[in-house]
Amino acid sequence: MNLVDNLEDLRARFEDALKNSAGAGSLDAVRVAFLGRSGEVTAVRRSIGKLPPAERPAAGQRINEAVEKMERALDEAQANAEALEVGASLSQRIDATFPAVPPRQGSIHPMKRVMHDVCAYFERHGFAVVVGPEIEPDYYNFDALNIPPDHPAREGFDSFFLTPNLLLRPHTSPMQIRTMQQHRPPVAVVVPGTCYRRDAVDARHLYQFNQCEGLLIDEGVHMGHLKGMLTGMCREIFGAEQQVRFRPSYFPFTEPSAEVDTTCPLCRGAGGECRMCGGSGWIELGGAGMVHPNVLRNVDYDPDVYSGWAFGFGVERMALVRYDVDDIRRFFENDDAFLEQLA
Amino acid sequence: MRVPLAWLRDYVELPADPAAVAEMLALLGFPVAAIEKRPVITGVIAGRIAELGKHPNADRLQVGRIEVGDGAPLTIATAATNVAAGQTIAVATIGARLPKLTIERRKMRGLESEGMMISAEELALPDEWFEDGIMQFEESLQPGTDVVEYFRLSEAVLDVEITSNRVDAMSLIGLARELAAYQNVPLRAPELSNPGEGAGGAKANVTIESPDCRRFVSQIFTGVRSGSSPAWMRIRLALAGQRPINRLVDISNYVMLETAQPLHFYDAAKIPNHHLIVRDAREGERFVALDGSERELSPQALVIASETSAECLAGLMGARSSEVTDQTAELILESANFSGARIRRTAGQLGFRTEASSRHEKSLAPALTAVGAARAAQLLVQAGAMPHEPVAFGQPLSAAAPIDFKISDVKRLLGYDLPPQEITERLDGLGFKVEPADGMLRVVPPEWRTDVTCSADVIEEIARMAGYDLIASEIPAVRAHEIASGDYRRERKVATTLAALGYREIVTYSLHGVQVYDKIRRAGVEPPARPVEVQNPLSEEQRYMRHSLGPAMLTHLARANGPDRAFEIGRIFYTEDRQPLETPMVFFAFSAAPQNEPEWHDENFLRAKGDCEAFLRAMTGRSRFETAADERDGFHPGKTGVVLMDGREIAVVGEVDPRLVRTFGVRLPVYACRMILSALPPYDVPQFQPPSKFPSTYRDLALVCDADVPAQRLESALRTAAGAWCTAATAFDEYRGSQVPAGKKSIAIRVTLQKPDATMTDAEADAVIEQAVSTLRADFGVTLRA
Repeated sequence: MNLVDNLEDLRARFEDALKNSAGAGSLDAVRVAFLGRSGEVTAVRRSIGKLPPAERPAAGQRINEAVEKMERALDEAQANAEALEVGASLSQRIDATFPAVPPRQGSIHPMKRVMHDVCAYFERHGFAVVVGPEIEPDYYNFDALNIPPDHPAREGFDSFFLTPNLLLRPHTSPMQIRTMQQHRPPVAVVVPGTCYRRDAVDARHLYQFNQCEGLLIDEGVHMGHLKGMLTGMCREIFGAEQQVRFRPSYFPFTEPSAEVDTTCPLCRGAGGECRMCGGSGWIELGGAGMVHPNVLRNVDYDPDVYSGWAFGFGVERMALVRYDVDDIRRFFENDDAFLEQLA
Repeated sequence: MRVPLAWLRDYVELPADPAAVAEMLALLGFPVAAIEKRPVITGVIAGRIAELGKHPNADRLQVGRIEVGDGAPLTIATAATNVAAGQTIAVATIGARLPKLTIERRKMRGLESEGMMISAEELALPDEWFEDGIMQFEESLQPGTDVVEYFRLSEAVLDVEITSNRVDAMSLIGLARELAAYQNVPLRAPELSNPGEGAGGAKANVTIESPDCRRFVSQIFTGVRSGSSPAWMRIRLALAGQRPINRLVDISNYVMLETAQPLHFYDAAKIPNHHLIVRDAREGERFVALDGSERELSPQALVIASETSAECLAGLMGARSSEVTDQTAELILESANFSGARIRRTAGQLGFRTEASSRHEKSLAPALTAVGAARAAQLLVQAGAMPHEPVAFGQPLSAAAPIDFKISDVKRLLGYDLPPQEITERLDGLGFKVEPADGMLRVVPPEWRTDVTCSADVIEEIARMAGYDLIASEIPAVRAHEIASGDYRRERKVATTLAALGYREIVTYSLHGVQVYDKIRRAGVEPPARPVEVQNPLSEEQRYMRHSLGPAMLTHLARANGPDRAFEIGRIFYTEDRQPLETPMVFFAFSAAPQNEPEWHDENFLRAKGDCEAFLRAMTGRSRFETAADERDGFHPGKTGVVLMDGREIAVVGEVDPRLVRTFGVRLPVYACRMILSALPPYDVPQFQPPSKFPSTYRDLALVCDADVPAQRLESALRTAAGAWCTAATAFDEYRGSQVPAGKKSIAIRVTLQKPDATMTDAEADAVIEQAVSTLRADFGVTLRA
């Protein structure tokens, strides 16, 4: 067969292949088979070498023309095939209201989420977050916090004892002492953690709960700073309009001491028949105050130079209010519906 | 403390609205737990029974003619039996509103009754504390007097919470003083001078043998008449939650509620030589209290004894043997001060608490002993008794130490300035004595306060009076410090990572009962030999500290209807050298349906391992981990691996022991991973390796080897043998069965090859693989599967 016949034959087979190809994908195969490096056209080109030199340019040109035509045909077929495919895709109609396929998704426990949010707020303002042991000796739980043995305030911390001297901490305040023993002022920490008290369990009380403690010690720290930080925290946790109020109270490790209330987020302070706040318009968050000079002395801080404040709030209680939960025990029951709704 | 508002108003001017009073108390630091509103009662007046006779038509009824002041006498029938002519009683007139009924004109057995004689119950008083039948008043009460108005029965009762530092305010006068100072109005205290002062007469002798009795005021009263207290006192006591007993006992309780100072009255006839001794109880000494309860005492208890026997458990309750009765003609008053710690310990030890001990154990001010005695003397004299000279024993009263208080500390601690004049006025209202001294104030706390001992205490007093609302919000500029948040950051990252891997966080109790160990034992597994035990649990459900997060996790998974995934971050507890210790852990697990697969393969295990590695990668920044098959308590002996990093064990991953899974009620196999949080290496920032620009190639090898050769070993051997061009060798399939000899398995491993500087040719790749396979053939006896 001569070159021309070869080319004719090639074109005929190319036309067939093109016709028989289905879709853009198989056109690639045709392109490789004919125009690829080891394709048929290459074989024909090689045969030029057998021609007398004078015929070679013309033969080369014919081959090139044939290749160009084939490429154009291929491109055209490619464009047609793609248009068809896109057209088919565009004509698809599905039911977009069909339920989603859920991702395999986990969640953070709602109490922990509140804890993280509180900590994150204080971290933004330069506080470190420290955690400490749940088993603590008397000294850190009481003595160092200005609660000597037989002090009436110990009654408020009815604790689980493991040995005569070791107990499950009834508050996170031992970490105030541990932190101040290890560092000189300025001290700015929050302490989240689990605490235990021998309380009868009901819809509002738990014997195991989590607390978030805050401590700021430096020169010139006053109670207005405490109110400022707690107001900011409440706005972060409960909403932008929250107010904070202090009421006098008593804790041996703070003086002056305060109970901290925030606007009831449910009735927005209106009170009335509100089931959340019982009509007072305020929600009790916990205790706070200026660190007692005796506590500062216990860690060798000079109370005439340094001052500071501390607070300790129940995290489950905050979560209860934030998520409008009816029973605090739910935070330890891990019911799927509960965790799912508050995920 | 129950505070009848009507009583409180005797001592201080107050707003009419009880809620306003409650708010004021709350802002002073005495939150009101409840405002007990009184029911509306109208039309009840005092009536005097002029005549009383039998009802003409009914044996069980009596008919009285009742004088009611201005109007005509009323004819009223009653079934009560405690009525007699001449008595002054409570009468509900026609139209009267009582808590449960309205009085209407009606006939009782044919006779028209013009009202109703009523009992304490109809006045919403605890009727079991009052006379059985019709409520009786003193003769001095004028017929026709409106009873509700006269006794101020419509006034609410406040339930006030009093912090343990303010025992002085566990009293009507104490609270009134606070309210007076806050409102800047006068305190109307009752007369507090002792009418026996200078009277001479009989004296009781007191010997104090224990330093825990700091002061003891004794006083003798003669010509004592007991009987029932006047109605006003009984009503006040009842509304305050104190049961009226008799005139003498009621006076002692009344004074305690009024002044905070508990008192005790002894029948002087029962105390030989009028000699009282304050001493430690003797070992085994028997004591029968006023309420009839009997106790055996130890020397830890403090008693007040006669020369023969213990007559009072100090600070708690008197003895039955010397209690005052209707026969008592002469009494010895005790107004004493004890060490709060001693009374607290004794009360705790005996499991015995009284209104008196709840005050004593908070350490009352010694000066109150004279106040209590004086007020009791006033009331006893009103009751017709004759006072003798009060005598104080024990430590002399010392004035409180003055506190030098820097005025600038107000601003330093509260953030706002107050003029010295205002500070002085505020403190003065509370009974403090204030003297200015060179930028300072010299402050002497009042004798009834024991809680104010330093400058910070004074500042709190000023803040309370000025109002905590004066404290203005301010965001502090926190100075840089050196404290790090490492552990917490790690915990938070653990949680967010596991949540991202599809696990749901749970929080469970760290205390549990013995049932957990029973279940573990029933599964054929040994529970911990020395668990951490709580010495004083509230219930048996809180006896032990968890030794693992596993049991609670299994309990949680058992509640799910189908497959579930969860994690918990928490501490576990164990004993080492007799010391209870704790370690923070993370535990994640899922339950999943078993797959249809051969016994030597478990896809779920590989998933758990995959989650474990993904988790470790996020936590440590590393991407290659080594796993060794091993056995661990609580895990399946043949489906467990320990994950090692730098040769250190950092995680256990595997199927949870199916026996445990079954006894904890989970219906599906459970796969879990547990880690000690502190064992996790710190995050190591991964370093970028630019990938080769040249294409990679791969060869899939089916290697036949002994069944017990771990895939990981073949992979790493291949990687080593294939040399520097090998970028990965990863097993992807395993086969055992008829196609390979018994005791052998076939492992399919994909070896990926790539050159950094050129395209790898097929010939090069084949050569590398051939070389590697022959190395493995020599080292492991592997053959290539046909």
